[in-house]
Amino acid sequence: MEKVLLANIDNPKSAEIGVYEASGGYDSLRKSLELAPDDIIETVKKANLRGRGGAGFPTGMKWMFASKDPKFPKYLVCNADEGEPGTFKDRPILEKNPHILIEGMAISGHALKAEFGYIYLRGEYPAAKGILEEAIRQAEAKGYIGDNMMGSGRNFKLAVHQGAGAYICGEETALIESLEGKKGHPRIKPPFPVNVGAWGMPTIVNNVETLSNMPFLMRVGPEAYAAIGSKECPGPKLFCVSGHVNKPGVYELPMGVTLREIIYDHCGGIKNGKTLKAVIPGGISTPVLPPDKIDCPMDFVNMPKHGSMLGSGAVIVMDESVCLVKVCLRALKFFEHESCGKCTPCRDGVSWLRQVLARIEGGEGRPGDIELLSEVAGNITGKTFCPLGDGAASVVLNFIKHFRDEFDMHIARKGCPIK
Amino acid sequence: MKSQIADELECVKAKYPAERAALLPALYLAQRKYGWLSAEAMDEVSRELRVPKATVRGVATFYAMYRHKQVGRNVIQLCTNVSCMILGAERLVDIIREKYGVEPGGTSADGRFSLVIMECIGACGTAPAMLVNTDFHESLTQENIVTILEGYR
Amino acid sequence: MIKVTINGREVQLDKQVTILEAARRAGIKIPTLCHFEGLEMYGGCRLCLVEVEKMPRLQTSCTLMVTDGMVITTESEQIAAARRGMLEFILTNHPLDCPFCDKAGECELQDLVYLYGGTEGRFTEPKAKHPESNVDPILARNIERCISCTRCVRMCDGVVGASAISMINRGRHTVMEPFSGGKFDCEYCGNCLTVCPVGSILSRLYKETYRPWQVERTVRTVCGHCGVGCSYDLQVRDEAIKRVIPRIGEGLNRGLLCARGRFGYEFVGAKDRLKKPLVRRDGNLVETTWDEALGFIAAKLSEVIKTHGGEAVAGIASVRCTNEDNYVFQKFMRGVVGTNNIDSAARMGFSGAQAYLESLRGQGVSANVIAGLAKSDVIFVAGGDPTMVTPILGLEIRGAAKKGAKIISLDPAPGLEFFNPHKIVPSLFAEGAVLESLLCRAVSARGMTGELPHLEEAIRAAVSAECAGVAAQSGVPDAEIEKASATISGSQSPAFVIGPDIVQRADGNRNLFLLAALSYVTGGRIFLLSGKANEQGAVDMGCLPDTLPGGRPLAIDGFRKRHEDACGMSVPAREGLSLMEMFPAMADGRIKALYVIGENPAFNLPGGNSIKSALEKLDLLVVQDIFLTETAKMADIVLPALSWAEKDGTFTNLERRIQRVRRGVNREGREDWRILCDLAGRMGAAMEYASSEAVMSEIARVSPVHRDLHYSDIEAGAMQWPYHGEPLRGEASTVSLVTASARPTVGSGRFALLVDRPLFQSGTLTRRSKALLKLIPKATVKMNPLDAASLGISGGIVRVSSDAGSVELEAVIDSSVQMGAVKISNHFEGAGVFGLMTKPPVDPVTKAPAFEGCLVAVEPLKGDAKS
Ligand SMILES: Cc1cc2nc3c(=O)[nH]c(=O)nc-3n(C[C@H](O)[C@H](O)[C@H](O)COP(=O)(O)O)c2cc1C
Ligand code: SF4
Ligand code: SF4
Ligand code: SF4
Ligand code: FES
Ligand code: FES
Repeated sequence: MEKVLLANIDNPKSAEIGVYEASGGYDSLRKSLELAPDDIIETVKKANLRGRGGAGFPTGMKWMFASKDPKFPKYLVCNADEGEPGTFKDRPILEKNPHILIEGMAISGHALKAEFGYIYLRGEYPAAKGILEEAIRQAEAKGYIGDNMMGSGRNFKLAVHQGAGAYICGEETALIESLEGKKGHPRIKPPFPVNVGAWGMPTIVNNVETLSNMPFLMRVGPEAYAAIGSKECPGPKLFCVSGHVNKPGVYELPMGVTLREIIYDHCGGIKNGKTLKAVIPGGISTPVLPPDKIDCPMDFVNMPKHGSMLGSGAVIVMDESVCLVKVCLRALKFFEHESCGKCTPCRDGVSWLRQVLARIEGGEGRPGDIELLSEVAGNITGKTFCPLGDGAASVVLNFIKHFRDEFDMHIARKGCPIK
Repeated sequence: MKSQIADELECVKAKYPAERAALLPALYLAQRKYGWLSAEAMDEVSRELRVPKATVRGVATFYAMYRHKQVGRNVIQLCTNVSCMILGAERLVDIIREKYGVEPGGTSADGRFSLVIMECIGACGTAPAMLVNTDFHESLTQENIVTILEGYR
Repeated sequence: MIKVTINGREVQLDKQVTILEAARRAGIKIPTLCHFEGLEMYGGCRLCLVEVEKMPRLQTSCTLMVTDGMVITTESEQIAAARRGMLEFILTNHPLDCPFCDKAGECELQDLVYLYGGTEGRFTEPKAKHPESNVDPILARNIERCISCTRCVRMCDGVVGASAISMINRGRHTVMEPFSGGKFDCEYCGNCLTVCPVGSILSRLYKETYRPWQVERTVRTVCGHCGVGCSYDLQVRDEAIKRVIPRIGEGLNRGLLCARGRFGYEFVGAKDRLKKPLVRRDGNLVETTWDEALGFIAAKLSEVIKTHGGEAVAGIASVRCTNEDNYVFQKFMRGVVGTNNIDSAARMGFSGAQAYLESLRGQGVSANVIAGLAKSDVIFVAGGDPTMVTPILGLEIRGAAKKGAKIISLDPAPGLEFFNPHKIVPSLFAEGAVLESLLCRAVSARGMTGELPHLEEAIRAAVSAECAGVAAQSGVPDAEIEKASATISGSQSPAFVIGPDIVQRADGNRNLFLLAALSYVTGGRIFLLSGKANEQGAVDMGCLPDTLPGGRPLAIDGFRKRHEDACGMSVPAREGLSLMEMFPAMADGRIKALYVIGENPAFNLPGGNSIKSALEKLDLLVVQDIFLTETAKMADIVLPALSWAEKDGTFTNLERRIQRVRRGVNREGREDWRILCDLAGRMGAAMEYASSEAVMSEIARVSPVHRDLHYSDIEAGAMQWPYHGEPLRGEASTVSLVTASARPTVGSGRFALLVDRPLFQSGTLTRRSKALLKLIPKATVKMNPLDAASLGISGGIVRVSSDAGSVELEAVIDSSVQMGAVKISNHFEGAGVFGLMTKPPVDPVTKAPAFEGCLVAVEPLKGDAKS
């Protein structure tokens, strides 16, 4: 498959506007500016582009809602908070291919009649900030964005807003709060950001990768785009693979590639000839899978049918040497650390789960602890304010579901059997 | 009496439709200037943006990357999340602790290093990884981490 | 019309509300913890979960709006289990120290756990520990008990607008803290305490002194501090006030209070309250009986009247006493003594200002409902910080600002700093120039309607100058004034909030004229701030030298006659002396006797020693008070009275709303009116009332404004001006306007002395409230940083001296104080601002003393001089 999102990425100067232009950069924007905004939205719908931020929400539908809202100004916000552990797919775009994102945002801004765009960049990517700001300056200097984009009479101003270390700010309403200079507490929905978002105005939040699909999508048209990968959920997709594989890294593959293909065909299989023990397919919040469940097509529609989710496409591969109780505990430490503290089940429930897991991992597990974990997780599930808390509970439930033995063994042997 | 961060802040404010939105950047500016966010630093931000100071503090303490005590000259931000953990990040913590006498969340006695345990910093494919100040260091090993850190005085 | 089904019952709603509200209207209670009426929606505790048909998850009823056809279930096994789960989570972090928690018995968490059943204690991990913080003098903070509902923060931030506390950190480490992490250093309104569902925020005034169920009596009354008149409940045990609690949503304050109201009640139970009448014998005040005391006064007063005539007697009424007290007092003075020499401390600014404004724009011009401020799109604030003088009115301004109203403040108002005020800070005493320039612009922008011809004529005469030229005198850039002017001109419903600072000036009447004119031209409403609970009442009851109850000028024979007929006593035809005119008259012997109720002129009036020496000349000084004040110490006879918490009656607030004051504490002693009736009897005049209600019945007969107004009407809500009564129609046909130089000329020295009006102190009463005293433990002098630097002052003790004397005080550097001015408050004995003032000039129109700005010198003292 032709590399779209990661084109030029091996060129050390890939972030320069000249390099990007040389391979047809900003042609799509020029073309798109000649189209009526609603036609672009129609194209996106036809292409069946789904958001790459994790939930896989149909992008065209989101845009239509925002576009129908009569309020102006509208804001387009790029979610570059990439905080889901295991995820590093947006980083190469941000650091090495910033213009594809800028062009994508400019096209989207036109489609949405949004004249202001923000890139909400996680604080942990300090280098990307400078790169993006320089790229924005270049694009402005060339008249691609800014006032009167390419003589079209349309304006699009773009700025980078740096986060400061809070996973929850990846959640779009928390992100908007943070953009407004507040804590990252998720907002009550409805109203949805497409109607009442940043500063009370219609706001469209899309992932870096989603927006970066736009130049390509507009170049090839919806039919050609929809022909890539899964029928139900097409397009190129970035998969970031970490852990015990021979060739970890970011891979641009068609949607619907199976987990097994990713691990064994693209990443060269398990490191040091060890055996696979478990895979987290879409970032730490997605349900863990045992080795016999990896023949699943990786896309937003099919993964749930196979007991997990595509999430951010962050594949974490674990071999036999890994203690899964410890992994589960580490995941829960993460959720405890990142819980915003707004709602009771996440704030107190997740912390309780972590404490029980810590006991089990530390050799102080007691009979009944696993039932307790399940019940506490059950009391969290479906009652949290936002998906973060639910995600934490689901991590525990799924580790127990597939690897209960290992938990039992920790309790029985008062410690880790692997050590 | 004009605040020192005022000028830079003017440019930042211009990016947003409301002054308040400049709060996160303003906190970064203050942190860069003072090294950490003391009560005085937050008070200064409060006055500059006309955001009540308790509100400023509420926001500043919500985010993990703002410092609320004096930190060392160099801040090691080491990831220990799952991808890094399964590739040995915990051992790296021990090495830093032993070699530089700094506990997670603490600062070495000579003020050279502070150690902060991070959640995933987006370098899992080249795990384990850390940020020292604003520099990424990836594919860390028990050997190369010391060489890297020795480059920071 | 929206139809929903809740628990099988159909509920009809006229507009979209939350499920919680819809259920409430249907009489169905859904448990809540983080929800609180009037606070911003939150949805954090997850207790109010309900089932909604067609929605897969449980929904929080406090955040989800009903839609037509929604089918809701509020109780089921699934729901109960979820709620039990949430409570279990909360209890993982809650110490369960109910046996010694103040909140036990009225704790929302306790009640809910009781309702849903405790869990079997499956949480066996160690609980987080946070030692209780008791470093603050007023509020204790027990974070272990905190359930992170954020009600306190949403109150402080969203409603009060003080934004003094926040939830810091995140996740499990979220805790409520004030900025300092220790002391609150806030406005101490205690409204966070009202909303905390558990025992996390506690009042140290009563902490661990009683349990909520041990309260013997709860009495609904009105606050006795400022002129706003907030409603609250006094809770009493063993004849002592245990606490003051507002009822959320009720009263004009809708359940909010300020520091003085909530924590300023300790003076009632102060040890040094007067208990017995005192009489001067051999130079000392000694205890005596009521009989002897009253006999003495009757004899002595009759003697003065007989020898020198009634007009040799003067009376000072009380802005802290009830309408009934004040009515009886003026009746006694007029009918029994035979004098119109009656006035009160309202003369310090409020009464003269109001009378003048009414003469320009008609009676009742300042009788505007405080809540109406919320509907203003522009609020012009002049003459003081409303958040300090009248705090709850201040909150209303903040609320309006939050909704988008523009605030313009003439001179700094620190309490509005975070509400995007357009601050206009002219050079000292040049406010008049700004006002004149604004008026000039408003007239050219809006023109005039011809409605009040004489006022318009005066306006035309006053603004003949060129708009920009006048502005130049104020030191404010023309563009600033133009901007403010455009804001005011563009307003649909401007409000003008007038505080005391701009009245108590040598050019006070001119400032008032300009404000009245500006409000007239722009169609604005006037709010006249009143710092004392019943200033308006003292005025309306006729405690004025020229006006009878109900605002009728006594110089007009018709009014006087009608009044005499109605109350059955005669009234002298000649107008009396106003407050500041009384003292020279005492000094030169025209006045021989002074009768004071609930006032402390020796301390509370400017003029330094001249007041005291005037009092010393009297043949008879009678003081009715609850404390042995500076004035009482000089008296021949002191009679112990009752405080507002110990008697029945009514107060009239600054919007002229009449509200009931109710007895909460039983104490031996007599109401002021009862003492006066007894005395009248001894002087051969029959003045008898069975109760304060009976006094009101007479007021309802005598005062045309209060016609037919009885307690039952007041309680039923007919408390808003003009009641069922009849205000005087029409305005004065001539406009008196006397222009004087605004710059003070009294005294010598570099600095203009201004009165500091802090939120926590307002004088004699608050000084005896231990808690409030802790907040401002000693007198200070506030000055601008640049002035301080020029004198080499960076704190420490300084000497402030005037022609009248000098005091040594701690200097506080405060950038909200203008250059060239220093501010001292008036509440510490021996260090009050008024003591430093030589006899100030009196505004010829308002008769208010122009004490703002007498000149003083400031010098740093070496080392730690004693103050
Ligand atoms: C806890 C949480 C964290 C999230 N983090 C991210 C993130 O880091 N990056 C991202 O693009 N979306 C993240 N999302 C998803 C966003 O809320 C949102 O759905 C997404 O930005 C929409 O963009 P898309 O439609 O292009 O996917 C997160 C959601 C949740 C609930
Ligand atoms: S589930 Fe609740 S506490 Fe957790 S992050 Fe979401 S809103 Fe915050
Ligand atoms: S007392 Fe009033 S000002 Fe102080 S924290 Fe509580 S609500 Fe805020
Ligand atoms: S202190 Fe009270 S009101 Fe404030 S968050 Fe805690 S429990 Fe809620
Ligand atoms: S887990 Fe360490 S960088 Fe992602
Ligand atoms: S009351 Fe509804 S979530 Fe707390």
